[in-house]
Amino acid sequence: MKQYIVLFITLAALIAALLIGCTDSAPTGPVIGFGNSTVTKYVSIGNSLTAGYQSAGLYKSAQLYSYPNLIAQQLTKAGANIGTFEQPYWPDPGIPDPLTGKASRYVIYGWSGTTPLIGPIGEALTAAAPENAGTVLRPYDNLGIPGIPLAGFMDTTGTYQSPPLGRDAILRWTSNAALGKSVFKQVATLKAMGHTPDLVTFWLGANDVLGFAISGGTSPNAPTSPGIFSALYTQALDALRNTLPNAKIVVGTIPNVTSVPFFTTVNPLLAPNIPSAYYLRYQKHGVTGMSLDSTKLTEANAPLITLKGQAYAALLGQATGKFWRDAAASLGYPIAAVLATQGATLDTTKPFGFHPQNPWPDALILDVDEIASATNAVNNFNSTIATVAAAHSAALVDFNGFFNNVKANGLVIAGEKYTADYIAGDIFSLDGIHPSNRGYGIVANEYIKVINASFGMNVPLVDVSSLPKLSAPLYKGGNGKIDPVLPFGAFNSLDLLFRPSIQ
Amino acid sequence: MRLYSQYLLGTIVLSVLVVCIALSGGFQLNEHGARATAQAGAFAARASDPSAIYFNPAGLGFQGSSIYLGATFIMPKITFYGPSNLSLNDETKIVDQTFTPINIYGTYELNDNLHIGLGVNNPYGLGTEWPANWAGQYITQKIDLTTFFITPTVAYKVNEQLSVGAGLNYVTGKVTMKIGTSIPFSGNPPIVNLDLNATGVGFNAGIIYKFIPDLSLGISYRSSVKLDASGTAKFDPNYTLLSLPNGGATATITLPATGFVGVAYKAMKNLEVEADYQYIGWSSYNELAIRFKADPTKNEVMTKNYQDTYILRFGAEYTMDDIQLRAGYIYDHSPVLTKYVDPMLPDANRNGYSIGVGYKICEQWRVDASYFFLKFDQRKAENTVIAFDGTYNMTATLIGIDIGYTF
Repeated sequence: MKQYIVLFITLAALIAALLIGCTDSAPTGPVIGFGNSTVTKYVSIGNSLTAGYQSAGLYKSAQLYSYPNLIAQQLTKAGANIGTFEQPYWPDPGIPDPLTGKASRYVIYGWSGTTPLIGPIGEALTAAAPENAGTVLRPYDNLGIPGIPLAGFMDTTGTYQSPPLGRDAILRWTSNAALGKSVFKQVATLKAMGHTPDLVTFWLGANDVLGFAISGGTSPNAPTSPGIFSALYTQALDALRNTLPNAKIVVGTIPNVTSVPFFTTVNPLLAPNIPSAYYLRYQKHGVTGMSLDSTKLTEANAPLITLKGQAYAALLGQATGKFWRDAAASLGYPIAAVLATQGATLDTTKPFGFHPQNPWPDALILDVDEIASATNAVNNFNSTIATVAAAHSAALVDFNGFFNNVKANGLVIAGEKYTADYIAGDIFSLDGIHPSNRGYGIVANEYIKVINASFGMNVPLVDVSSLPKLSAPLYKGGNGKIDPVLPFGAFNSLDLLFRPSIQ
Repeated sequence: MRLYSQYLLGTIVLSVLVVCIALSGGFQLNEHGARATAQAGAFAARASDPSAIYFNPAGLGFQGSSIYLGATFIMPKITFYGPSNLSLNDETKIVDQTFTPINIYGTYELNDNLHIGLGVNNPYGLGTEWPANWAGQYITQKIDLTTFFITPTVAYKVNEQLSVGAGLNYVTGKVTMKIGTSIPFSGNPPIVNLDLNATGVGFNAGIIYKFIPDLSLGISYRSSVKLDASGTAKFDPNYTLLSLPNGGATATITLPATGFVGVAYKAMKNLEVEADYQYIGWSSYNELAIRFKADPTKNEVMTKNYQDTYILRFGAEYTMDDIQLRAGYIYDHSPVLTKYVDPMLPDANRNGYSIGVGYKICEQWRVDASYFFLKFDQRKAENTVIAFDGTYNMTATLIGIDIGYTF
């Protein structure tokens, strides 16, 4: 009897010991690295989105989270020996608004109850040039030039090199005068100096439609024509491919304006302020003075009030010409000169936005024709981008599809929800156009996914959840939307950013 | 002697209760008696001890009056590798915890045909706690669910071959959760602490039919129980500007219905074997919705989409005079689809191996012990809806002990 118990217990103990050791080993999968490829030099080409612009400014604490810098860090994590990824760091608070000479970036500078007050606060500059301008003795690796349209890539005339927005500080490398100062020439110079890029991201074209869209279709008054865009894009990729025959090139499509909070935030905030018996009277594309066009902002395919319009939302129904005074001030013109462009039918003693003689200005609204015009341009540009990319063996990131999907469905990362909502969605920064730190992390990951899939690499994605969130406590209203108060003039620097001909 | 034993019993019941209320349980638990556990829970066709109140109330019809009580010590281990889009090899282990579902059963023979019983146990419970600031902190940091089923039961022995039984389940539940909130904010994101309580009612019923004394069939069913939990949500730190929905919160969890079909056979003079099929209606758990009274726009709905599933159980018991030796095997098919695997309860198909021993100390007293090891298949979470992919390695060790007293 007893021996059976002893036997059983011994057996039990033995089985228990065996089973406790019975655990799975760590999973195995694709090894992080570059497969059969290599990356030794990464260069990014683009506009303010590539430069790491955030909240209408370019400043070091944001530039550190530019998507190219995030990609470079992941490449290094995967074992690439690409050295320091050089960006033109502007010490905080960053570059100036040319009109004021003070920092252009937005901050949340106060609260009205639970509503954030957002805008530039006249921060004094701390530097006149990037902090590493004297130590990086070659072109920067991040060639994101704020404000340039596609034409700026090859242009050597100086049109897109004006000092505002820090452009000249990036397009500065003139040690070989023959190479000139275009973005492309910076790439060529890198190669000439022995830093031949073998991975290039190229994301240009957004400004060819954004300048039109954020100015409410007024400045410029049309997107770049599809024919010109196609010619410029082909020229750009020809030049890149000829100079860098073996480089892995990745290009991105252009997100449509309707997926960006700059264009989608104000309608739901303004619509309830239009009394049921009233309509918002607004100027259609190119209309001056009086206008009979009207909207409730709630109908299907309604016009879109831009974020800039939020500054004037509180004036709805008042007898005011505030917008025209602001416009005159930002242009440096006398008010009479601006009013003269509107003709005799404008009467600012009438209720603003409700009376046909004091309509909502064209510059603060995208009417349905302008939306269609922007959408057509984006579609045309994107089909060009896809075709030209394929012809030059460049991989393609479909940012338009991606951001349309984010707009429709939001995005979940490690259990956190992101949306295309202004500020609350945590993808876009305070200006409603440029991504936030986490938004840039999301952009970097879309690039990395395509790089991995196209070139047989296994570069780990950016840990988006570990990137800092926006830098101020924010109120999320009952409807889940941020109802911001933006000061008049907050958008001067953005106007400049997207006005391609600015000198 | 009689008085002394009753006093002893009372003390044990009390101390077990005290210990177990302080601790809590792992989500679907089928360990409700060391004797059954030692046979991988293949017990519905025999239900020959007071744990019949859980496995098959009809079993009481073939029993006398007794008390049976004990606890299971559950020690789960989970290692998460990932998130896989960042690194395959970063590993995170859950904080070690021991869960102790209890079982207390009393049965009383009113007459030869009519038997009654009362049971208290924890058929559902779960708990996982991950290290602070881990990669999945916005999905879960800690969750703890405890349910107590109080089950008054009646069984009627129709004849020596057939018994039927039924019970009423009065259920109390408690859930505590800790989740990082996703709100634009630099610095420490607020962590929501939820503390919810619920009560619910269900029933169970069963039948045992002995074709011949050596061959029996058992079928039992336990209804689903809807728990409407309410309590409080507390955000820490509470940034007043964020208007966080502190205060009242509710959640509804439906505990799934489950059913057993088992066949037991006396293969040799001293050897009983049993095979059971258990069905679990897990599709009742399609989402976990946390609702805030202060601001319904901030409600949090976590999609679970559990699937109905099954468990196969095989057990054997070999009797030698006062000693019974037991062993069992279980295959537990996971209700969780790959895209819904999350760290709150990362489930996988499991193979379990059990052994145990029972000892009859004297005519009245018996003691049962069980050792049960659950080996989960390695679970790869891919394309998850929460965008948190990776690999989970899991095991659980369960040690059960019960004592019985027969009047």
